[in-house]
Amino acid sequence: MQERATRLTRRCLGFAAAAALAAPSVVRAQVTTLTIWHDLGDNGITWFERMGQAFAQVRPGVAIRSQSFPTEQWFGRVIGAINTNSAPDLIFNNYERVIRIQSQTNRVMDLRPVLEGVRDRDFLSEQDLRVGTFRDRLIIIPTQRVQMAMGTRLSWLRRVGESAPPDTWEDVRRVAQKFREGDPDGNGRADTFPFALQAARPRDLVHMLDLFTFGAGLTHTLIDPAGNITIDQPEHATVLAEFLRTYSTYRWVPPDTVNHSFTEMYQVIEGGRAGMFRVGDWNVRRWDGANTIGGDFVSHPWPRFFPNRDNAVVIAGMRGVGVPENAPNRALSVEFARFMLTRPAQQASLEVMGSAVRKDLDVSSLSERQQWFARARHRLVAYDFPEATHAFYPELEAGFHRRLLAAIGSPPRDHEVFIRELAREMRDTARRLSRG
Amino acid sequence: MRGLHRVRAEGIFYLLVLPFAALTVLFGLWPIVLSVQVSFTASATALRPDPQWVGLANYASVLGDTLFQESLWRTLAYTAMAVAANLAFALAAALLLDSKLLPRGNMAFRLILFLPVVTPDVAGYVVWRWLFDSSFGAVNAALDAAGLPAFAGLTTPATATASVLVAELWHHAGFYTLIFLANLAIRDPALEEAAKVDGAGAWARFRHVILPQLRPALVINLVYATIQFLKTFTVVVVMTKGGPAESTTFVSYLAYQYFDQARYGEATAMATILFAVVIVLSLLAYALGERGRA
Repeated sequence: MQERATRLTRRCLGFAAAAALAAPSVVRAQVTTLTIWHDLGDNGITWFERMGQAFAQVRPGVAIRSQSFPTEQWFGRVIGAINTNSAPDLIFNNYERVIRIQSQTNRVMDLRPVLEGVRDRDFLSEQDLRVGTFRDRLIIIPTQRVQMAMGTRLSWLRRVGESAPPDTWEDVRRVAQKFREGDPDGNGRADTFPFALQAARPRDLVHMLDLFTFGAGLTHTLIDPAGNITIDQPEHATVLAEFLRTYSTYRWVPPDTVNHSFTEMYQVIEGGRAGMFRVGDWNVRRWDGANTIGGDFVSHPWPRFFPNRDNAVVIAGMRGVGVPENAPNRALSVEFARFMLTRPAQQASLEVMGSAVRKDLDVSSLSERQQWFARARHRLVAYDFPEATHAFYPELEAGFHRRLLAAIGSPPRDHEVFIRELAREMRDTARRLSRG
Repeated sequence: MRGLHRVRAEGIFYLLVLPFAALTVLFGLWPIVLSVQVSFTASATALRPDPQWVGLANYASVLGDTLFQESLWRTLAYTAMAVAANLAFALAAALLLDSKLLPRGNMAFRLILFLPVVTPDVAGYVVWRWLFDSSFGAVNAALDAAGLPAFAGLTTPATATASVLVAELWHHAGFYTLIFLANLAIRDPALEEAAKVDGAGAWARFRHVILPQLRPALVINLVYATIQFLKTFTVVVVMTKGGPAESTTFVSYLAYQYFDQARYGEATAMATILFAVVIVLSLLAYALGERGRA
């Protein structure tokens, strides 16, 4: 009897010990989920899944759940959630969009101290960090440089007898003439255009001008950080005049371009109606596919306008991760934001999204055209994001766009005179807007 | 006893209506109230929990904005043209379908006319944009084949407005036709017979006998079309994005552009002004119809 009681006691103790041992593992099995809101669609969801798996290896018990919203919805949801203390753990988007979140909430964390704690960050340049900074706060940790180069159809070049893509603006003029008149697609009809560009909305047209301006080695398309209007400076005026002629008197773009935004521009490119176009690093994967361009293009820097200035590929955006100050799991969110700069996270970014910020990644699995962007051996110039310096910039840009569109619709007799008058007008507008 | 019964019956009625009334208030009226509220705040703080109130400053700014003034006149002019074109087309189509001129395939024609109404508007307008494309569109291909000069489509201000109007007519006219057809079906044929016996010609019969009987449909269509075209938005987003040279920037689209520039206060002030214009013009259209009846 006593022996039985002893056995029972031992068993009870055994169970108790087992339970005591098991308890921490039960606690460990509780998973903390970090929620991240972005607008990257299916690719973004795949990327965050891959990063989540990698993060779980260094930080067990943490899961990453990403939700993608259409861009316009993303704005409303993020602003609403942060303002009502129901913020997600992290937000991910283009820098200029996070600026708008910060200006409407004032509750996006300053990540500068977080970044200073990262040892392995030499791949981030001063320009990268400047792009991520808004009113002395680093509002995103930059994780993807958005490179935009010029693309030219290879088969068209061959058919019109050109051996290389255009390097200077003179080359562009020669090639454009051939693309317009030389039946480069070989279908026997005069149905091709040298360029596919866009113009419908202020951002569409001015973004194209940004690429021409920064690609030619200049800076500040319309206004510099000190608030000076730049368009009538001699080199800027030269680029702007040629840019306007590209849309109007040269007839290098389809006439409907005045109503074209991204979607329509892509239809012109993928429909095989234009020979020169903007190619972003994220476009390459799709345009390597047989149903689009089938890899029939070469990426190269924007044309050189001036012999004394180097042309470049433009960093026209910086995507990154931000942390709301009222994120539910702030410490973990910061840890994950830091993790997004590590090699596994960056490798996944390169493979899934087509861009990253690290330069030591394995690019062997990428196509030749993707590698061109990933290796980034060309000269890179970062766009200046005037909206970060001048709160009134979108309004100024809208007015600028209106005047440019009018000049495209009815080309001025003298572009130089037009640009001088426009500069005067923009100065007045900037002065008025800056007074608030 | 009777009074008690009535109170109980009304109580049940209000009880059944309550959930729908609550939903209407929540999803119908509350967003309008919030939008109006935003129009009294500074844009930079509009979406914060503690916005800065600026009184009527956004309204003053919008009303003094030449872009808005031009856009408002453009919207009114377009609405007048679109209402006239849609109602004239719908009335003509309804009379044709109601007559004995189309004995065969009448139902098929009705279906064809109504089909665009149930077609998703974005898809329809994308196709119209392609049809009007000046370099590969079917419209110019047909004109070219017929030896006629090319149509500028969406590339010039005048032709862009006309193109948008045609696309909208395609999308909406079927609905107005249906309303006219319903009214034609319940008219009194004896009146026309009597007029015929009295020697009235076809035009006189239409002008003095048929048209007065179509007043209910005319009023409904006039009010509905006025509301519809004052708010024109989707067709602009899909086909022109307000261009070229702002020739299709109507008030709804201008407000949307201001939203895009984070000018929330002014954008909602515009939306509120448009809302007021819609209400006033709709009541005016309705009153005109009612006065005619009296």
